[in-house]
Amino acid sequence: MTYKVTDEGDTSTVFLDGEIDMDKTEGAKEVIFPLIDAGKNVNLNLSNVQYMDSSGISVLIESHQKALEKGTKLIIKDVSKSVLKVIMMAKLEQILNLE
Amino acid sequence: MSTESTNQNNLSEKKDFLVRSSSLKDVRNFSREVFEKFKINEDLREELVLAIAEAAQNIVKHAYRDFPDTQDRMAVRISCSDKELEIAFFDKGKPVEKSKVKHRAIDDVKPGGLGTFFIQEIMDSIKFKEGDKPWINNLVLTKKL
Repeated sequence: MTYKVTDEGDTSTVFLDGEIDMDKTEGAKEVIFPLIDAGKNVNLNLSNVQYMDSSGISVLIESHQKALEKGTKLIIKDVSKSVLKVIMMAKLEQILNLE
Repeated sequence: MSTESTNQNNLSEKKDFLVRSSSLKDVRNFSREVFEKFKINEDLREELVLAIAEAAQNIVKHAYRDFPDTQDRMAVRISCSDKELEIAFFDKGKPVEKSKVKHRAIDDVKPGGLGTFFIQEIMDSIKFKEGDKPWINNLVLTKKL
């Protein structure tokens, strides 16, 4: 997994890349969580993530819940078809902020 | 990768992997190669890869929870007949307690507990068996084609 972060005002956009599995979740958390802790709104761009398993879905849930606790917003953007299928299988499409 | 049988109506491929989270990518790549070789419907392939990866992840996370630096290997065997796909997993970790294998309530949204749910959603049957020596656990997943 690789990533890139861009900042605009109080919003950071995190571009993740690759396959997100149990082996990559700590890396994803290390990128996303400090931004939320710093009070940033976070756009999580998943257009280049072609595979995500239950561990990756857990990162999305944890990030979403952390943002709610901190009073910020996590928006998941440009989800690939394959990852959207997994989000829908977990019945999270109405819970997470998807754009 | 070892091919156990390659007659037209009964294909089987088996491969072993170090029990580590870093092996999960190799498990997925093996599965994708096999499904391509077996000419499994493309829409179904990635779902099956997810089910296999979740089962392999459960071996790493649960059967070897107390042994993160193990040198043990787990094996995955994918077999395909005209009508059914069978995916078998073999490991030498802590024996599975079937009563404890359950997913979280799907409307109780929290991190974790989804892997087994995904496997149940994708596959038709899940059976935990005692492994024949030297294996301890043998999980068998099936899917009608």
